[in-house]
Amino acid sequence: MNNRLKVLRAERDWSQAELADRLGVSRQTVNALETGRYDPSLPLAFKIARVFGQPIEAIFTED
Amino acid sequence: MTEDRPLPLPLRIAGMALLAAAGAVTGGLVARFVDAGGLPPDDALNLFIAVVLVAMAVVSGVVLTLRPSRSPKGCGVLQVVAMALAGIMLMIPLYATRWVSSELAFALVLALLAVQTVANLMLWRRADEMLRRIMVETGGLAFWTLQLALFLYAAGERLGLTGGVTAWGMIGVLMAVYLVASAVVAARRGIK
Repeated sequence: MNNRLKVLRAERDWSQAELADRLGVSRQTVNALETGRYDPSLPLAFKIARVFGQPIEAIFTED
Repeated sequence: MTEDRPLPLPLRIAGMALLAAAGAVTGGLVARFVDAGGLPPDDALNLFIAVVLVAMAVVSGVVLTLRPSRSPKGCGVLQVVAMALAGIMLMIPLYATRWVSSELAFALVLALLAVQTVANLMLWRRADEMLRRIMVETGGLAFWTLQLALFLYAAGERLGLTGGVTAWGMIGVLMAVYLVASAVVAARRGIK
């Protein structure tokens, strides 16, 4: 699965640690999400969508 | 954007040199105080795993102090405690009877095991979803590998082709497989 996390984070000038704090996960998890090494659970995907104020499908796309 | 860049190259090289020096000191100390060549293979394996675990706990403690955001909040300390206790518990059956009775040594193992179990449960509860996934996948990979190995060994033993591995030796093998499995699973998620 592809995602736009890094771009969305860059637009808000957030660090990985800052985004991790907002999502309640570790910085390593944010890094793994951004590099495509980890696909989030549905609850985390919803949380990401809420944090960025966008629908899930605008953030995550299929390969 | 406030980017989380990797550490500058000189700092990374210094870190690697520090780790290499720590490894050399650890190896030197073990070689100085332990006659590993005179140990039975199962004792040698467990001693090796114990030293690796304690060394990893020390290094993780240092990393945790320098870069606390690498682990979910509250998890880093618990990981260090669980690793250190695992190493110490493997050393107790090897050396504790020099100073205390076997019964007291076993009681100490039980007490530490209880503390480690609580630490592991707390770690599970505090972990974020990726860390939990890593723990689950590590358990699955280790179980699958060990199940295959145990089946082959058991079949060979029943056929009179193998034998002689003690439960103490088996726990050494189990810990070794678990360590490798956890490294593989973590690396797949980009955790070094």
